Amino acid sequence: MPTVGPKTAARLVFHLLNRPRSEAQSLAEAILAVKDRIQLCSHCFALTEDDPCALCSDGRRDATLLCAVAEAKDIYALERTGAYRGRYHVLGGLISPMDGIGAAQLRIKELIERLAAEGPDELIIATNPNAEGEATALYLARLIAPSGVRVTRLAYGLPIGGDLDYADEVTLAKALEGRRTLS
Amino acid sequence: MRNYAALDFAPVAGLNVFVGANAQGKSNLLEAIALLGTGKSFRTARESDVVRHGLPSASITGQARVAAGSVRLSCSLNVARGALRKVYAINGRKVAYASYLGRVRVVTFVPAHLSLLTGPPALRRSLLNAALAQDSPHYYAALAAYTKFLGQKNALLRAAHPIDEALLATYDERLVAEGTTMILARRAFIAALGERALAVHRAWVGETDGTLDLSYAADVPDAVPTQDGIAAAYVARLADKRSAERSRATALVGPHRDDLVFRLNGRPLGAFGSQGQQRTAVLALKVAEYGVAEARSGEAPLLLLDDVLSELDPQRQRALLDALGSFEQAFVTTAHPVEVPAAATYRVIGAHLERVAA
Ligand SMILES: [Zn+2]
Repeated sequence: MPTVGPKTAARLVFHLLNRPRSEAQSLAEAILAVKDRIQLCSHCFALTEDDPCALCSDGRRDATLLCAVAEAKDIYALERTGAYRGRYHVLGGLISPMDGIGAAQLRIKELIERLAAEGPDELIIATNPNAEGEATALYLARLIAPSGVRVTRLAYGLPIGGDLDYADEVTLAKALEGRRTLS
Repeated sequence: MRNYAALDFAPVAGLNVFVGANAQGKSNLLEAIALLGTGKSFRTARESDVVRHGLPSASITGQARVAAGSVRLSCSLNVARGALRKVYAINGRKVAYASYLGRVRVVTFVPAHLSLLTGPPALRRSLLNAALAQDSPHYYAALAAYTKFLGQKNALLRAAHPIDEALLATYDERLVAEGTTMILARRAFIAALGERALAVHRAWVGETDGTLDLSYAADVPDAVPTQDGIAAAYVARLADKRSAERSRATALVGPHRDDLVFRLNGRPLGAFGSQGQQRTAVLALKVAEYGVAEARSGEAPLLLLDDVLSELDPQRQRALLDALGSFEQAFVTTAHPVEVPAAATYRVIGAHLERVAA
């Protein structure tokens, strides 16, 4: 299991051994249910029990905004903000030829089909601020810009609550590049 | 780390000399100091080797006095399931490598540098990168991004055809942006280095041996040395090499193909110089590197000389140390006794350190 080292694994085993059998049973059933019932939404490729997913079938979501993310778990991070009311599209990873991942291995064709079918005004690319995230965003912008859809990307910046004099120079320079007009 | 289970060491100001036979742990001490200062080992590409065999981690903590005050640096290397993770901290606060680097300047001189002129261009580029990354976090960020995008571009060129043109154009766009930052920084650095190396060399050999010239052989023409000028030349050169890059399935344009050229009276020293002339030029370069680092940061860098002095004749040993002159603190390892004005000499035997009475 990812992130579980030998020490944590041993702690989990001892914890389970100390619990009643019924609890182990319900845990095992829950794990099986994940395997059996959770599938990909045929529309946005998020994880869901029902297809299309709750986000895709919610008519109150703003259809003029589409947000592309690398992984389904990124949706939960953005939903927790409560600041985004548009729809999502899960790419299924980031482009990385070094790992054998090109555009064909991701759901980029599906994204372009959705843009044509749903006609949002804006595509927000919410990929990580590393080399692969940056290349994937720029690549998508290159492909999609000719269609006239506005393509934007999450800003780089300073952490809220942080001090300017503690920020490393590179983060500060990026934040300066991405500055915005106040008046 | 390495053969040390634990060691507390308070070096003195001036020249600290470690004397010992091979494999006793002299160079490991220098490596630890370099790791503390730069966060990277100068000895190995496989840094997990630094961790003592059979242990999960190695860590080095040190206190340094710099212009900004006293700073406590800490660098730990943790090996778990064959993967190495490094953790950096400043005054007990965890920081990213980009903000760790450059708190303390380190100039390293190892025997491999003695073949700097005759060795492959990669050796000279890595010297430039090590010095510039300490000098500027922007250079380090550009180098790290450039290296990543270059790897991706090469993988794309090698991948099954037809090549995704939009993806190749994306990588080229990023390589031009990051590469241009690197080219401008290297250009200014080599100019400063060349000026100092020329002066040091002249002071050593007078006019008799000729004029030392250090120049930047940039792969992308830098005739118009501005951000826009270099970016335009870069794009033009990429267009020129477009079909060659495809047929050879590798990136053929950019600062990963730069070189640093040494000339004596206009003749390439790497090809035509005697070994003595080449060594003198390398020493002049290292003295210049120290001087540029000092001038740019406003403080004296730590100087690490790993098994270098014993490779030099006594006259060159003295010339090197005299020219470095003002260094505040230096660390020297040697297997054979050397004639140097040591502030403290330590005997290193089996990972034990013993100060030798003066
Ligand atoms: Zn959905």
